[in-house]
Amino acid sequence: MKVSDFSAPAAAPTADESLAQAAGHVGAPEPLSVSEFLNSFNKSFKRFPFTIKGEVSEVNAKAGYRAVYFTLKDASASLSCLMWNERYQRMGAPLSVGMVIEVKGHLSVYASKGRMNFDVESYTLAGEGNLRLQVDQLARKLEAEGLMAPERKRPLPAYPLTIGVVTSPRGSAVHDVLRTLRRQFPLAKVLLAGVPVEGPQAPEWLVYGLQMAAYNGAEVIVFGRGGGSFEDLMPFNDERVARAVATCPVPVVTGIGHEPDTTISDMVADLRASTPTAAADAVVPDKGALEGSLTALGGRLSAAMGKSLALHRTQLQRYAFLPLFSEPKRLFDSEALTLDSLSDRLSRALPGALEHNRQQLEGLAGRLARCAGSIAGRQRHSVDQAQAQMQGIAGHLTHRFHAEASLAAARLEDLSPLTILARGYSVTRAPDGSVVKSVAQTAPGESLAISVSDGTITATVTSA
Amino acid sequence: MTEQKPIDEMSFREAMTELEGIVTLLESNTLELEDSLKNYERGVALLASLQKRLSAADQQVEVLVGELAFHGSDEEQDTTLS
Repeated sequence: MKVSDFSAPAAAPTADESLAQAAGHVGAPEPLSVSEFLNSFNKSFKRFPFTIKGEVSEVNAKAGYRAVYFTLKDASASLSCLMWNERYQRMGAPLSVGMVIEVKGHLSVYASKGRMNFDVESYTLAGEGNLRLQVDQLARKLEAEGLMAPERKRPLPAYPLTIGVVTSPRGSAVHDVLRTLRRQFPLAKVLLAGVPVEGPQAPEWLVYGLQMAAYNGAEVIVFGRGGGSFEDLMPFNDERVARAVATCPVPVVTGIGHEPDTTISDMVADLRASTPTAAADAVVPDKGALEGSLTALGGRLSAAMGKSLALHRTQLQRYAFLPLFSEPKRLFDSEALTLDSLSDRLSRALPGALEHNRQQLEGLAGRLARCAGSIAGRQRHSVDQAQAQMQGIAGHLTHRFHAEASLAAARLEDLSPLTILARGYSVTRAPDGSVVKSVAQTAPGESLAISVSDGTITATVTSA
Repeated sequence: MTEQKPIDEMSFREAMTELEGIVTLLESNTLELEDSLKNYERGVALLASLQKRLSAADQQVEVLVGELAFHGSDEEQDTTLS
């Protein structure tokens, strides 16, 4: 089908010319060809637009067609209509059977078939349909601006401490909202903007209410009203209101009407709830869940602390059982042993050294006497010599002895128990004079002599 | 944890956030015993404050615009809810 024929300019007289022709040739009319007639007909009727109201029946909008074909009818008549695609798409609201619409356009005849159509330039939905169309058109516009984009939707605060409520102060919706907030999260403060939600002033009030709530510090706003007719909800479809919702500095949760109702405010809101009560529920944490999570946090807190204590206790016990702490005296074991052995060696070394020196001395004296005896029996002249020699030897001996003796004395001084005692050690002796080296050597009641640097202390054993 | 804010001056959210932080910190088991105890003590205080606030609060309603008519108590409301 070549629908383009409808508007194709033909090499025919203009409508004016053809009408003048027709008028000027009364009596002897020049017959027109069919094409000429239909062309002048179409051009003439283009200048007579009509508005016609009727119900849509039989819509034919196949892909590939350049126009949409439909029938408009009333109780007793029907009219074939067509609408060019580019016009139809601009309308926003697709036609469907049963719609009551008002069409604006003019009559035209499809020349090749001689079929008459009503060429529709625009249409509006009559009555509520008209409102819906307007709403749809606004929705498209705002959507095209990106106001409904998912990425524009802000997350709601988890624990809002100030909640704005913008709704009518009358009716049950406001009380449903307040009750829900009170039950779920009583510690939030509620800022109520009670504004008219119906009537011509409602959009301005709604915008004002949103602004007031945001201005006074609401962190999130519940925005809505109870159920009503489509017309009742219209203020929430108002462009000013929709823009106020979209540009509100804090998240807006809508609860407008009942479940199936969707307004433009719902579409641009950060979250859409089905009713005012659901919107209130959405902005606050669930009290039960919150209490539950607090209890859980408390449990985790105690468990973590208990674990930390147990960990530290285990660590402490590990250290407590180290020999270092269980038998601290062991620390000085090797020193004690060294000390014991030194003192033992000392007590054995002293008398031995003295005896050795005495024997040496005695030996020397004996040899001296023997030398002197043999010398007496020799020649007298050698006596003097021998005597001198002897004296020399004796002197030498004495000298050496002196040196040795003073060396011994010095060592003696070093080794003297008195020196050791002077350093703070003491020697404890049992009644029989033996040195007490072990607890086993004493018994309670026994008296002990403790030698210290400047004397002896007599002590009695009280326990051993 | 520098300069702890008095719990009474903290918002519910702040207190909740700090409590969650303390629990996580304690669970990480990286603290000295003294610090564990200090944190535990603070956590318990935060928890008590949060629980008290949640159960004892009386909702405050400030009317910015319009006049709110009394609409019966919650109990009366419940019987009329559809």
